Amino acid sequence: MLWLCIQLPKLPLEALTRAHRAGDSAAVAVTQHSLVVEANQSASTQHVEPGLSIATACAYCAELQLLERDPEREEQLLQQLALWAYSFTPVVSPRSAEREQNQLDSNFACLYLEISGSLKAYRGLAPLLQQLGKELRKMRISHFMGLGHSPSAAHLLSQLPEHRQWLLETRSAPTPQQWRQWISFAPSKLLDCSHKAIAKLYACGIKRVSQLLAIPLSEVGGRFGRGFIDYLARLNGSRPDPVPSFEPPAEFHSELFFPSPLDNSEQLLFPAGRLVRELCRQLQRRQLYSQQLCWVLDYGSRGSQQIQVEVSRPLLDPQRLIALTKLQFERVELKEPVQALTLKCQQLRPIESHNLREDFFDEGSKLNESYQLIDKLKARLGHQALSGVTLKESYLPEQAWQNADSLTLQNKARKHHLTPVNAPRPNWLLPRPDRIQQRDHKLFYDGELHLLQGPERIDGYWWQHHRHARDYYIARGAHGSLYWVFQDLTSEHWYLHGVYS
Amino acid sequence: MNSAENFLQNKQLAQQASNGPVLSGQQQPGQQPEPVQPQPLQQLLTRPDIWQLASGQRRPRTGISTGYRGLDALLTGHGWPRAATTELLIDKAGIGEMSLILPTLAELTRQGRMVILANPPHIPYAPALVQAGVQLEKLLILHPRGQRDQLWAAEQSLQSGACGALIQWQGKETPADKDLRRLQVAARDGDCLHFHFRPGSCAQTPSPAALRLQLKSDGEQLALHLLKQSSGKSGQRVHLARHPDLVRRDQPLH
Repeated sequence: MLWLCIQLPKLPLEALTRAHRAGDSAAVAVTQHSLVVEANQSASTQHVEPGLSIATACAYCAELQLLERDPEREEQLLQQLALWAYSFTPVVSPRSAEREQNQLDSNFACLYLEISGSLKAYRGLAPLLQQLGKELRKMRISHFMGLGHSPSAAHLLSQLPEHRQWLLETRSAPTPQQWRQWISFAPSKLLDCSHKAIAKLYACGIKRVSQLLAIPLSEVGGRFGRGFIDYLARLNGSRPDPVPSFEPPAEFHSELFFPSPLDNSEQLLFPAGRLVRELCRQLQRRQLYSQQLCWVLDYGSRGSQQIQVEVSRPLLDPQRLIALTKLQFERVELKEPVQALTLKCQQLRPIESHNLREDFFDEGSKLNESYQLIDKLKARLGHQALSGVTLKESYLPEQAWQNADSLTLQNKARKHHLTPVNAPRPNWLLPRPDRIQQRDHKLFYDGELHLLQGPERIDGYWWQHHRHARDYYIARGAHGSLYWVFQDLTSEHWYLHGVYS
Repeated sequence: MNSAENFLQNKQLAQQASNGPVLSGQQQPGQQPEPVQPQPLQQLLTRPDIWQLASGQRRPRTGISTGYRGLDALLTGHGWPRAATTELLIDKAGIGEMSLILPTLAELTRQGRMVILANPPHIPYAPALVQAGVQLEKLLILHPRGQRDQLWAAEQSLQSGACGALIQWQGKETPADKDLRRLQVAARDGDCLHFHFRPGSCAQTPSPAALRLQLKSDGEQLALHLLKQSSGKSGQRVHLARHPDLVRRDQPLH
């Protein structure tokens, strides 16, 4: 086990000011309970430091911009960072900042990453740490890291400057003996326990962890309680150190906010492409797919509009998804300038292996092409413009077929077991039987009709209140067309029901 | 084939014709003979838009069989022209126009190709299609709204290469010549059979289709009049009998 602890000391500030541009030099401080919690670079050059009261801070720096701390946003950012860390290792545990009443944070928010499984993929410890640091710097998140054999140890060591210096230069993970040395070397104020306990330790003259470890455990337990012994055992690695594991949510939700609203649907394509690429990256990492992309165009106070893009097969290619989105956006007329664009995918499903197998072998490419075509048609024409047909078991001719979902078109497993009746049936069926004129015992439908064959009696649903009793005939029209006509036995009217084309 | 391609090909042929004899004249005795270039004339003859009357009988089957021997014999490829538009001009439904193409469609669906019906005039009746041997799961029915969407859907389907045949019914508006040409090109690109049902009045206006057939009823038979056939004779007529089960006459009861 190799745990990395990434401490995020400036999270309260960064959660609020991430949207600011890089070159912004206004002095900003985050406050909570009338105390300064965090200050940015230009504020701290003017001696604004965490722990000052607002009045003192304002006295130091007149144009200080004060922001109220927003724990909810901090939590959101931490979750986002956990999702980011999830791309490096599957074992991630976020830990939010803890504070005691009317005090500064005793612990910063941090992320625990179990990286022993990722070393090979990144070719060693140093490149992995460099990559992590680079991406965090790109996101403008200030951080410091520590490495340990358990999360508690990593947390403790991340606060030790000597350890951090070593971490910058190291090439490989240290041996268990080295861990012990680091831990015993650490000053006891870095222990992850209450201020009161630390004060007590110092009162006893215990300045380093090594001194603490030299005392018999039962003695320590008597003074500091069972919880403290437990913590020491976890620190030592003699007891397992469980941390809650991070589960990425089973949905995707990402929003882009436009400082100046967009009034043209073509302009939306660029930000849409960015969101789609973000989605695809995440889906690929987690081997999921989404059957539906839901776009929300936010018109600010004037409501919002939803656009659905349906995808019939697992598709991780951003170009294709963007092309489908483009087809939908082309049809949209913006009612108002768009202020924010959101991409939501509610249900992410795991890609199943049998789906993939179909791609590699048996006529995979043709099948893929058909699905792409269906997606394209659906995106432009709408869901209702596409259909298939299947057989249905029924006595009544108009109920012997039904619309099929066009998605199941290529499903090979499904075969119709129904066999149709062995009598000549017309290729075209009229949606509603058309009334035939009747004069002097002759039938007229676009000219006189001659009955050729019949009758074939279809009598169904007599057990229900609406009986269908019909005598079907094949008739020829004046222009040579063959029709399927019937006489309703209850009303004795004649109807045209199908065309033998 | 558009005029620009034609022009380029002609130019190439002209160059080869002028270079050919010169090259053979320069050849030194004792040298290996150059690989034999195809003769310009033979190259010309392989072009699909040059019609050879004499070799009509020897021509191999390039088309897709219609399932009717009488009709196959008339068509140059002994079947529906592959990757091209076939226009079927018809005024009155019910004279056997679907039965004419159903054997081909059934064969295509059995091969696993998708068949698309765009804008059918009525509901395609599943039991009859199954009787004709069509695999229903390969059948897709489209109802695009408006002329623009119809043409777009037809072009996309033809181009995609996923589709074995597209059967299209002309709506109220007559598509422009330019659009018909685009469909024909799309069918060629996607290697797709394209059947276009149009009213009989369109027979007068020219069309880029590879094959144009006028369908009429003659008593109990379907009368076909071959209006146009690229690289083949036209003007012939053929009568196809309808299915005997349909036209059998019972003793009238009434």
